[in-house]
Amino acid sequence: MTKIDPETRIPDPIELDRLEEARLRGAAGLVPARATGGEYAGFDQVGIPDRPPQTDREREVYSLEEGEMLVNMGPQHPSTHGVMRLVVKVRGEIVVDVDPVLGYLHRGIEKLCENATYTTVLTYVDPMDYLSTMHNEHAPAIAFEKLYGVEPPKRAEYIRALVVELNRIFSHGLMMGFLALDMGGITPILYAFINRDEIVDLLSSISGQRMLFNFFRVGGVNFDTNDEFLSRLGTWRGNVLKNIEMNERMITDNEIFRARTMNMGTLTGRDAIALGVTGPNLRASGVPFDVRKAHPYSIYNELEFDVITQEAGDSYARYLQRIAEIKQSIHLIDQIIDKMPHGPVQAQVPGIIRPRPGRAYAAIESPRGLYSVYSISDGGPNPYRFRMRDPSFISLQAIPKLMPGRLVADTMAVMASFDPVMGGVDK
Amino acid sequence: MAHLRRPRPATHALGRRRALSTPVAAGALVRTLTERLGYNLGNLWTDEDTVEFTVDGARNVEVLTTLRDDPDLEFFMLADAAAVDYGTDAHFEVVYHLFSWKHPAWLRVRARVDRANPRVPTVTGLWEGAMFHEREMFDMMGIIFDGNRDLRRIYMSPDYRSFPQRRDFVLPDDAADSPAAGVNPLERPETWDLTRFNEAPAVTFPPSSERDDAPAEGVEGGETLADKSRPR
Repeated sequence: MTKIDPETRIPDPIELDRLEEARLRGAAGLVPARATGGEYAGFDQVGIPDRPPQTDREREVYSLEEGEMLVNMGPQHPSTHGVMRLVVKVRGEIVVDVDPVLGYLHRGIEKLCENATYTTVLTYVDPMDYLSTMHNEHAPAIAFEKLYGVEPPKRAEYIRALVVELNRIFSHGLMMGFLALDMGGITPILYAFINRDEIVDLLSSISGQRMLFNFFRVGGVNFDTNDEFLSRLGTWRGNVLKNIEMNERMITDNEIFRARTMNMGTLTGRDAIALGVTGPNLRASGVPFDVRKAHPYSIYNELEFDVITQEAGDSYARYLQRIAEIKQSIHLIDQIIDKMPHGPVQAQVPGIIRPRPGRAYAAIESPRGLYSVYSISDGGPNPYRFRMRDPSFISLQAIPKLMPGRLVADTMAVMASFDPVMGGVDK
Repeated sequence: MAHLRRPRPATHALGRRRALSTPVAAGALVRTLTERLGYNLGNLWTDEDTVEFTVDGARNVEVLTTLRDDPDLEFFMLADAAAVDYGTDAHFEVVYHLFSWKHPAWLRVRARVDRANPRVPTVTGLWEGAMFHEREMFDMMGIIFDGNRDLRRIYMSPDYRSFPQRRDFVLPDDAADSPAAGVNPLERPETWDLTRFNEAPAVTFPPSSERDDAPAEGVEGGETLADKSRPR
């Protein structure tokens, strides 16, 4: 826990408030307020649960020293990227400790999937991380194909890689907008959403649905490319670099943005690995771990690309990493379109499959990191156990490590740089 | 009459069967594993990109420390930690998936945990990030991790008493009958107050004579067309 130097301590708002409250009460002829059960307990008691703490850590967070108070950020806070609550212990404007409280969006998707057939599981995982829907379907599809012992045709693999990279581009593009939005910059998010809508329209023209695409099938994809998709793709490819660069120009060299992201929330590679942070956030700390290279799935061993890393590990590096990966994805899409073979897009697989008993693990690189599925079959029509590892759920553990000693206003800025999506965090 | 037969799909459309039991090119890994962990290595098994073995739950820290710190293994990253319930008359398993640069395979360590006394040492000392994994396993399966200093519920509310992902927890329709019935009143129908639904006045459309868009058939006996079309 960070200790604040008493020399630099700013005037304590709690003390000032207490004095003001006592003055007003005296003027109104009331007795002084005292913390008793059922009555207003005073600033220093707000947010403390009315039950004994269950763990050491909970006791540590919810016991206040003189001058500290608890502030709830969320659950309905516009910049928590979903429904999440951060209990922030503050001393004045300085964060002392953070405790994330999750579960507001918990739908029990794993349990639902264990009661669904293998085909319908691919529809349940869609709303999990709702900004990377294609990735959500990719890992279960690979796992079930391993279990069932079927391999999708080559063209299906290429279409999968194409839609997955398109999804990565709009997800990273939104992160750029949200990060600026959480610091008060409203313009970039509008352009980010324009760019996103172009890709979403593109993907809906191939999958038939707009946000929860439900495009992957066990053994292939639902539809082949069509004329509308291809013509839209060409238009999009002609404009995308210009659009991205326009958004980038608004943010990258902005003085306020740089001041609030550089040297902010710096995570070393060693800490990031220990905390389970993966994906662009880990690569921004200098660790070249990318599942597409480390354990190539789909067709990624046929494409040429390098793992991009940054050195700094701060919020700004995480932002730069997203931009670099957008450009890398565009490069990958060019290669995929060049190499895409002709042929069918769906292997012949029955609607209800009963894989033989076994276990399969499939990991993919989602825009938020390592997304993996561990599926166990007992020979029946639905998975015996279906486990999803969501990257933003695990990456969230970095926030309580990074925030102590920083300003309250920077909590959301650092959190946005990790780009969590609460649909995935709460499953 | 060969031309009347349905054409066979091309081979690539049919999908090549994957060989489920083909060992990966991970012979070196298997050799090193048996060398270093031979005495508590059970059920060594490989598929196309995974090597797995089982250990006793009580030895998980010892085994994972070797896997992480041994210079020939260096499984430095905990990719996943999940709990599996193998049924009321069987056992739990805590499954760790590890990654290493040195070996071309995911390593899966299945730690067996007693179901009557589901306690297992924590691995938060090895990877700090195992904290949320273990909190989730505690919340969903009720496995207790000895030494974890923040083992509270993470998704369900703190006063919840069941463990929803155990096999003996049935879905909320009949959760009240399950041996692990929760304290959430929504899951206990006998506590529901349904009077406001029973006493609510029936919603009917105004008579067809007063409506401009009335359908050709009138509404009989207070029943709407929507009521009629409903299955009885």
